[in-house]
Amino acid sequence: MTQQEFKRNCLIAVTLAAFALPLVVRSATYLHILIILYLYAYMTTTWNLVGGFAGVLPLGHSVFVGIGAYTSTILWLQYGISPWIGMLVGAVLAAGVGYLIGKPTLKMRGAYFALSTMAFVEGIRVMVENIDMLGPLKLNGPRGLNIPPLQMGEGSFWAFQFSSKEPYYYIILTMLVAVLAMTSAISRSKMGYYLKSGGEDPDAAQALGVNVARYKVAAMVISSFLTALAGTFLAQLTLFIYPKSVLTLDLSFELAFIALIGGRGSIAGPIIGALLLRPVTEFSRIYFSATLPGLHLIILGVVLIVVMLYQPRGLTEPLLRIFDKVAARFAPALPDTPDTPDTPDTPDSPDSPNSPDSPNLPDTPDAPAGPDTQGTPAAPGATASASPREERP
Amino acid sequence: MSLLQVQEVTMRFGGLIAVNDLSLEIGRGQILGLIGPNGAGKSTAFNCVAGLYKPTEGRILFDGEDVTGQKPWDLCKKGLARTFQIVKPFQSMTVLDNVTVGAFAVTDHRDEARDRAMEVLRLLGMGGKGRALPGSLTIADRKRLEIARALATDPKLLLLDEVMAGLRPTEVDEMIDIIRALRERGMTIFVIEHIMRAIMALSDEIVVIHFGQKICRGKPEQVARDENVIKAYLGENYGTA
Repeated sequence: MTQQEFKRNCLIAVTLAAFALPLVVRSATYLHILIILYLYAYMTTTWNLVGGFAGVLPLGHSVFVGIGAYTSTILWLQYGISPWIGMLVGAVLAAGVGYLIGKPTLKMRGAYFALSTMAFVEGIRVMVENIDMLGPLKLNGPRGLNIPPLQMGEGSFWAFQFSSKEPYYYIILTMLVAVLAMTSAISRSKMGYYLKSGGEDPDAAQALGVNVARYKVAAMVISSFLTALAGTFLAQLTLFIYPKSVLTLDLSFELAFIALIGGRGSIAGPIIGALLLRPVTEFSRIYFSATLPGLHLIILGVVLIVVMLYQPRGLTEPLLRIFDKVAARFAPALPDTPDTPDTPDTPDSPDSPNSPDSPNLPDTPDAPAGPDTQGTPAAPGATASASPREERP
Repeated sequence: MSLLQVQEVTMRFGGLIAVNDLSLEIGRGQILGLIGPNGAGKSTAFNCVAGLYKPTEGRILFDGEDVTGQKPWDLCKKGLARTFQIVKPFQSMTVLDNVTVGAFAVTDHRDEARDRAMEVLRLLGMGGKGRALPGSLTIADRKRLEIARALATDPKLLLLDEVMAGLRPTEVDEMIDIIRALRERGMTIFVIEHIMRAIMALSDEIVVIHFGQKICRGKPEQVARDENVIKAYLGENYGTA
C-alpha cells in the first residue's frame, strides 16, 4: 500500500462513515447540528472557489444564498413549482448576479473588492427589507417568507420537505461530497492553476498567457451558482426565511472566517474550519444569544487573529503535515508518489552548470532561506509536504 | 522578414517621455541587446512590446501582424514571452507548478503541461528542483525559474529583462551558456542587460538608448567604440579629461 493509496483509503473511509452516521446518531438535535455543519462546509467550499483559489476576499456571498432561498421559495409559494426546480432557477439567477457583480469589481485589488462585495449585500438586503411586492413577486419585506409545512408527519420529495432529519442529512452530505470533488478537480485543472497564479501575482500570470480577470469572473459565476443551491437547502430546512437570516453580512463574514482559519485555497480547509468553528457558533448562540448576541463573531475574530499570527495559511497545513507523518508511519514503502515525474530524471540531472551551488549563501541578498539542499536529487522526499495540493488524494 | 518590428514608438507618462521615437527590429534567430544608462527607458520599451503598456504613438509588429496595444496574455499565446527584472515567482506553488502555469498556454491537459514543464526545467538544469518552493531557491535559480516559466509557453520571441542582475560571475557564465543554448534551438531573444561582459558576448547586435532615444545601433564592437555611447555612459567630459 503506497502512501497515496493509504490516503485515498482514509478519505473513502471518512466519506463512508459520514454516510453511515445517521445509523448511530438517532437524535434529531445532533443530526441538525451536523446538517448545519455540512451546510457551512458546503458554502465555505463554494466561497473558496473565489476567495481561496482566485486570491480575492469576497465578503458578500450571502447575496447568493439569499437569491437561492428567495427564488425557490417564491416559486413554490406563488406558483407551486417544486423547490428542486426553484433551486436550479435560483442558481442560474445567482450566477447571472455573480457575473454582474464580478465583472466590474474583480478588476479591483485587495480591500476594494472586499468592500464592494459588502456594499452589494447590504444594498440588496435593504432593498428586500423595503419591498413587499416586486412586480407580481411577493417578497414580504422584513417579515420574510414562511413555507407552510405539509400535513404533520408527511414528507414529500417533490416539495423538498421531510418529516425526519435523515433525508436533509443525506442531501446536504451528497451536495458537499459533490462540490468537494468538483473543487478538487478544478484545483488540478488549468483553471485551478490559472486562478491561483492570477491571485498571487497578476502581472506575472498575465505574461504567461493567463487572462486573469476572465478566469476570476468565471470562478465567481461558478461559485455563485453553487452557493445559491445552499440557499434553497437552507430555506427548505428552516421553512422560514427573512432578509436578516439569509442576506446578512454576518453570514458572509462567517464563511470568510471559516475559510481563513481552516485554510484558504485548500480543499480540506473549509471542512476543517467548519468542524472547528461551527460548534463555537452553535454553543455561543445557545448559551449567550440572550445576553451577548454576536459573541460568536467576537470569538471567531480572536481565533482568526491567533491563527493568522501563528499559521497564516490556516490550520489545514499543520494538520495535513501530521496526517502525512501518520501516513508515512503506516505506508513507508515508497518514498514518493508515482505521478510526480521528477524522481527518475537522474540521467540528465547532474544539473549541468549547477554544480557549484552550495557556496551560494553569503552573497544572495534575496535568498535568506539558506543553502538549497531541497532540490538536490538526493532528497526527493524532503519537500513532500511542500506542495499540499499534490498530496491530497 | 524580421520577427519583431518596433516602429517609431513613443511612450509618455504625463509630461515625461520615457521612450522617444524608438525604432528597431529583430530578425529570426537573432539575439538583440538593449542597453542604456539607468532610467534610459529600456524596461518601458520592453513593457510596450510585451503589452503591459500601450504605446502613446507608433506601432509594434510581431510576426508580420500589428500587435500594438494587445494584452499580455494574447501576445503570450502568439509566441511572445517575457521575464521580469524583479522576479515574480508564485510563492505558494512549487517550482514545477510555477512552470506548469506557463505550459498551460500550449495544452489544456494537466499531465501534458506537467511533462512539458519538467522538460523545460531539465533543459535549464533544474530538473531536481521541481518540488522546491521558490522561496528556498538561490537568486540564480529564481532567475532561471523566471526563464523556465517563459519558455514553457513555447515562445518564438523571448524578452529577457536583466536576468543576470545580482548574479556572481560564474553564474553569469552559466546564464550566458543557457541563453546561447536557447538560440541554438532557434529562439529569437531580446535582452536587456547591464552586465557589459555578458551582453557583448551574447548579442548579434546592440541598440543603445539614452533618455528614451536610440543613440546607436550596431555590432557589439562598433557600439563599444561609439563616441555617443561612451559619452552617455561616462559623461561629456570623459574624452577631454
